[in-house]
Amino acid sequence: MFRLQGSKVLAVDMTGDAVKAKNGSMVAYDGQMAFKKMSGGGEGLRGMVTRRLTGEQMTMMEVKGHGTCWFADRASEINLVSLQGDKLYVESSNLLATDAGLRTGTSFTGMRGASQGNGLFTTTVEGHGQAAIMSDGPAVVLRVSSQYPLTVDPGAYVAHQGNLRQSFQSGVTFRTLMGEGGGEAFQIRFEGDGLVYVQPSERNTIAGDV
Amino acid sequence: MSHYPGAGPTVYDPMTLPSDDNVNAYTFCVELKGSQWFLQKGKMIAYYGQMEFNGVGQGRLDRLVRTSFHSPLHASDWVVAEGSGKMLLADRAFDVNSYDLEDGNLTIRSGNLLAFQPSLALKQSIVPGFLTLIGTGKFVAASNGPVVFMEPPIRVDPQALVGWADCPSPCHHYDHGYMTGVMGGLRALTGLGGASGEEHQFEFVGAGTVLLQSTETLMAEQATGAVPPDAGVPGSGGTHTGPSQVAGAQRLPGQLGDLQRRFGL
Repeated sequence: MFRLQGSKVLAVDMTGDAVKAKNGSMVAYDGQMAFKKMSGGGEGLRGMVTRRLTGEQMTMMEVKGHGTCWFADRASEINLVSLQGDKLYVESSNLLATDAGLRTGTSFTGMRGASQGNGLFTTTVEGHGQAAIMSDGPAVVLRVSSQYPLTVDPGAYVAHQGNLRQSFQSGVTFRTLMGEGGGEAFQIRFEGDGLVYVQPSERNTIAGDV
Repeated sequence: MSHYPGAGPTVYDPMTLPSDDNVNAYTFCVELKGSQWFLQKGKMIAYYGQMEFNGVGQGRLDRLVRTSFHSPLHASDWVVAEGSGKMLLADRAFDVNSYDLEDGNLTIRSGNLLAFQPSLALKQSIVPGFLTLIGTGKFVAASNGPVVFMEPPIRVDPQALVGWADCPSPCHHYDHGYMTGVMGGLRALTGLGGASGEEHQFEFVGAGTVLLQSTETLMAEQATGAVPPDAGVPGSGGTHTGPSQVAGAQRLPGQLGDLQRRFGL
């Protein structure tokens, strides 16, 4: 059972079950806990090879036991996501913990990843259960539905879930080259049905200055 | 309401997002209905609807720039958002707040201003690194930690100052007793005996409001553009008309001077 203690610490109550968490993110626990490094995030040999090839590296550990375990990472804000069979797409660096029952994997993101400076691949989390994602400042959760498509700055994008199509928009024009661009030259447009998590801060991207 | 129960405390859509108000302490939502807003480059994080972001340097917006943007020299840092929909603004996870000006004026550190309505006019302040907004309208500013409002007379730490409204410009204030004299000179020269770091303040007098942030971490300064190099313009590097001063040789009376100056060389 995931719960937030404050906004920057995740508390997980466990009764013999297990969670996967980012390596080294445990800050405290009570009760009996066993920590086990998971090679390749528990995705098996194929997953390990994929992660190595795609550069979407993620070191996870498995925490199992009875009691409460607290996780935190660099005072990042933590957001809880619950999954009911749908898929969560998140950068591996923003993923803090998931239920052990959730499957993690990698997926190709195309131009979005390139514009974020995060590489071309992203991590997926799938199944039934809870996950905790991190953001710089509390994330705002925005719903996308068929009549309300959403456009997001790549630097502020954290994660999305549901059945969403993303397309990459480029506003690079002659004026950008003249140094009079709109400052928002690269955007990701989400259409379909689902949720998008954005953080109130922008990572440095190649789009930051054009 | 949501079919993703537990997905964060609130899920927003264009209907539930506030109009021209804070979503949380770090995110501000602007509603555009065919209207325009000025915003600093790269502060938009997401939007619903149809919007266009244009640099203010371009021809079509020339009239707008002429009426509400009086600092042509730093126009390239600003964009005009126009269209209809709702737009989220944020800046490096700093606190953001909106302020309403009614036929007033407010001077703000250039890096803290995020966005403003075109009914306000933005001008360079004669205090370097600050901008002045004049008129009626709403603007959004960021600060490191929540903003506190104070009334003059007050002395404030330079790093905590965000801006001031409706009151005369600040002046420098030094703790004279601590910095002067033989001991003060020794402290300044050697660092021995300790400097509290608070020997220098900005002093505000008159009627108005002073805005302070609750940390002393400065936001990155945004260039405000250079001022014309005329005589008498502060910060212009123009020729002094008064008695000339030696740059970089600021001396307080009674401080330990260098030998040349002591012997009048």
